Amino acid sequence: MNSPESTQVANLQDSKEKKPRSLQAFPAKVFHWVNIISLTLMLMSGLQIYNANPVFGGREGWHIPQFFLLGGWLAGGRHWHFAAMWVFSLNLLWYGVYVLVTQRWQHRFVGKNDVKALQAGKNPKRKIYAWHRIVYTSIIPILLLALFTGLGMYKPAQFPWIVECFGDWFALRVVHFASVPLVIGFAIAHSLLSLKVGGERLVNSMLWDEML
Amino acid sequence: MAEELNSHPINRRNLLRLSGYSLGGMLVGGSVLTLAESLAGKATEPLNQKVEELLLKPQTPVPEFPVSAIEPNALIINTYDFTPNINLNEFRLVVDGEVNNPLSLDMSMIQTMPRKSMVIRHVCVEGWAAIVQWGGVPLRELIQLAQPKPGVKYAYFISADRYYESWDLASCLHPQTMLAYEKNGVPLPIENGAPLRLASPIKLGYKLSKWVVQVTLVSKLLPRRGFWEDQSYEWFAGL
Repeated sequence: MNSPESTQVANLQDSKEKKPRSLQAFPAKVFHWVNIISLTLMLMSGLQIYNANPVFGGREGWHIPQFFLLGGWLAGGRHWHFAAMWVFSLNLLWYGVYVLVTQRWQHRFVGKNDVKALQAGKNPKRKIYAWHRIVYTSIIPILLLALFTGLGMYKPAQFPWIVECFGDWFALRVVHFASVPLVIGFAIAHSLLSLKVGGERLVNSMLWDEML
Repeated sequence: MAEELNSHPINRRNLLRLSGYSLGGMLVGGSVLTLAESLAGKATEPLNQKVEELLLKPQTPVPEFPVSAIEPNALIINTYDFTPNINLNEFRLVVDGEVNNPLSLDMSMIQTMPRKSMVIRHVCVEGWAAIVQWGGVPLRELIQLAQPKPGVKYAYFISADRYYESWDLASCLHPQTMLAYEKNGVPLPIENGAPLRLASPIKLGYKLSKWVVQVTLVSKLLPRRGFWEDQSYEWFAGL
C-alpha cells in the first residue's frame, strides 16, 4: 500500500537513478523513422511505376519481380507514390527547418574536422566515424534530388525549367531512377557504418530508445 | 566462442536481424499495402487534383520546342484495343450537349477553321515522352462556335473505337488544346488517330483521345469519366 513514507522513499530513489539521456534528439528519431517508412513506400511504388515503362526498363529492360513492388499495377503504384510523396517531402521539410533553427548542421553533420581526420588523422576509429558522418550527410542531397526530379516528371508543363536543368526527358528519368541504387547503397553503407561506429547501442539509440 | 562471434557489431545475428527487418518490411509493404492501394489513392487524389487545378494557368501557353527537337520515333502507338475503320467521306464531328448551336462538321469545314501548329512534349503515364508537332483546330474555336450554355463545366470526348474521355472546361479552352489533323508535318496517320485526335501539352497521353467523333459539353460529370479513369487512373491528369 502507498503510505506517505514509502512514497517519499520512492521519490528519493527516482531522483537518484535518473534514466540515461538518449544519444539522439527526439525530433531526429521521429524524422528518421518517418523517413525510413516513407522512403520505402516511395521506392517500392516507384519501381512499380518503372515496371510499366515500355521504353526504359520494366517492359523493355530489367523487369522487377513483384515482391519488391508496391501497388500491384501502374495505377496502384501511382496511388501509393503520389500519396507517400506528401509524407516524404513534408517530413524532409520540417526536419530541414529543425536543423536550421537548432543549428544542428554545425555539429551533427559532416564538418571540416571530419575531412581533416580523414586526411591527417592517426586514429582509425575517428576515421570510420568521419566516414559515417559523410555517408549520412550525403543522403540529404540525394533525397532532395529525387524530390526535384520527381517534381519535374510529375508536372513538366507547369515546371518546364526543372526538365531544362537536365536537358531532356530521358536525362531527367535517368537521374530520378538513379536514386534507387543510390538510396539502397546508402541504406546498406549507413547500417554497417552505424554498427561499426557505435554497435547496437548506437543503433538502438536512434531506432528504439524512448520510442516504444 | 559464441560470445566472440557475437561481440563484433557486424555479426551474423545483426545481419540476420537487419535482413529480417528489411525483408519483413518489404513483405508487408509489397503484399499487405498493395491491397490498400486504392485507399491510398482515394486519400490523396482529391488533394493532388486540387493542387494541379491551382497549378494550371488556363491561358498561358507552355514553352514549345524547335522543329529540330522533334522525336518522330519516340511517339509510340499505344492503341489499347483496335484501330477503327473510318470512312472519311461520311465522317462528321458532332459538338453537342448543353449548347445553343450544336455542330455537325465534316473535315473540309474543319480545315477552313483557324489552324494552329505547335511543337510540344507528349507524356505517357507509362513514363515515356516524345516531342511532336501537331497541327489542327484549337478546341476553343469549336466550343465557342457551339455556344455553350452558362453552367457548362466539362466536355466528354467519344471516339470511334468506343474509347471515351472527359475533361475540365478550363483545360479544353487552353490555347494549346486542339483537335489535330496533322502530325510532324504530314496529314495525321490513321494509327495516330486520324481524322481528328486531341492534342495538348497540359494533360497525360491517355486523355488525348484518338478518332474523336463527338464532343459533348455538360455541366455535370456522369459516374463514368473515362476509359482509364474508370479503372482508377487520375481524372485531371495535368502535367
